Amino acid sequence: MDFHSVISNAGQLWSGLIITLELSALTITISVFTGFIVALLSISPYKVVRLPIRTYIEIFRCTPALVQVVWFFYCVPVLFNVFWEPFTMGVIVFSLNLTAYNAEAYRAAIQAVPGAHGDAAVALGLKRTQYYRFVVFPQALRLAVPVLLTNSIGMIQQSALVALVAVNDLMYESKALASQTYRPVEVFTTAAAIYFVISLIMSRVVEFVGKRTRRLIDAR
Amino acid sequence: MSDAFIKISNLHKSYGLGALKVLNGLDRTIARNDRLVIVGPSGGGKSTMLRCVMGLEDIDSGSIEMNGESYISTGRNGKTVINRALQKQIGMVFQHYTLFPHLTVRQNLTLAPVRAHGISPAKANEKAETLLTRFGLAAKLDAHPSKLSGGQKQRVAIARALMLDPKLMLFDEVTSALDPELVFEVEGMMSELADGGMPMMIVTHDMNFAKNIATEIVFCAGGVIVESAPPQAFFGAPQMPRTREFLKTIRSGGSE
Repeated sequence: MDFHSVISNAGQLWSGLIITLELSALTITISVFTGFIVALLSISPYKVVRLPIRTYIEIFRCTPALVQVVWFFYCVPVLFNVFWEPFTMGVIVFSLNLTAYNAEAYRAAIQAVPGAHGDAAVALGLKRTQYYRFVVFPQALRLAVPVLLTNSIGMIQQSALVALVAVNDLMYESKALASQTYRPVEVFTTAAAIYFVISLIMSRVVEFVGKRTRRLIDAR
Repeated sequence: MSDAFIKISNLHKSYGLGALKVLNGLDRTIARNDRLVIVGPSGGGKSTMLRCVMGLEDIDSGSIEMNGESYISTGRNGKTVINRALQKQIGMVFQHYTLFPHLTVRQNLTLAPVRAHGISPAKANEKAETLLTRFGLAAKLDAHPSKLSGGQKQRVAIARALMLDPKLMLFDEVTSALDPELVFEVEGMMSELADGGMPMMIVTHDMNFAKNIATEIVFCAGGVIVESAPPQAFFGAPQMPRTREFLKTIRSGGSE
């Protein structure tokens, strides 16, 4: 093993890492909000709202992310005659994917709040909107956070898929560097290590938050 | 009756589109100084009766009046119509505490008064402190519910309902989920309220407590009131065969 070529080309990997982090940060930020809105729509009492939303969620949860990325990059420009930068396309397709997963996390958390709290809220004279705002959402958000973080870690790892469609992220730059230097073992090992470290840090955060959440659940 | 506070008339209620009839034409008035303890077999409609009075259930037909005003009725399309202003005069406590776990005891007490009843935070806060001090829970004001025992949780839940100055309190099996040694503190708090003249409807399986606190025992089975009488008469000389059968079952240690 000779990491010399990796170290001397660290700038190239670094620029790839920045793209990966930008893509992930944007996607995660967007999906935290859109996921919540989609979750609310997915439990709407109106079928016209609920059904299309549930269909969207199931499509993105039941097809491989790789297929979604490839389909989006090759089919959307042809079908809808739109041409965006690869990076923008990446943010959109991953946001669609992560929003679907986050929506399920929010929905499960909302439905985990005991229905008896609704009875208590009525008995206390709270209106339905007040019940959701002050009783359901604060509890549901705490319950959803560990799952949202886990989804986000998964998204960072999946973001490597965009290397296939010419977004110059960490994986893309690693591939380029590997073929420039003829050192695939060292380069890809380094790339794997970087993904590992990012995910490890985030999963430690998840563990910490999870412990706090469990206290809340015990309280019931 | 002139001093009728609540008047339930011919109340019908079923679950699952009429598949399961729970109340079959229930009639009952509740006076201002009544403390009704409702007893009876499981599925006899005890809890449903309380939930209907609280306005938690849609009804099939019948009506409930409060002070002669229409409180709960069915509209022309068969939908349940609830007068929300009158509903605010009733408080209810449930079997499973239903304290909001993300809020402290203080916040549990002040949430509804401040957010839904237009009481200033300072005033609500003061009232919460007064109430909890009165019931020996002042030390727990800023604790989260997870730090309380079952008995303390249930007492906080009662205090939370009292924050809104209810004219009638409903207790739905509030000691059923408690360890035996914790039952006493909750029943003690209820007795204290009773001494203060609070009208109540109580569903309980604790017959000794029923005897002590009730002005009248109501025996509910098959979705109607079979018999009701003051405790002494009810337990001493029950009139109806169905009542006698029930009392025999519980005395022999049956699960009813």
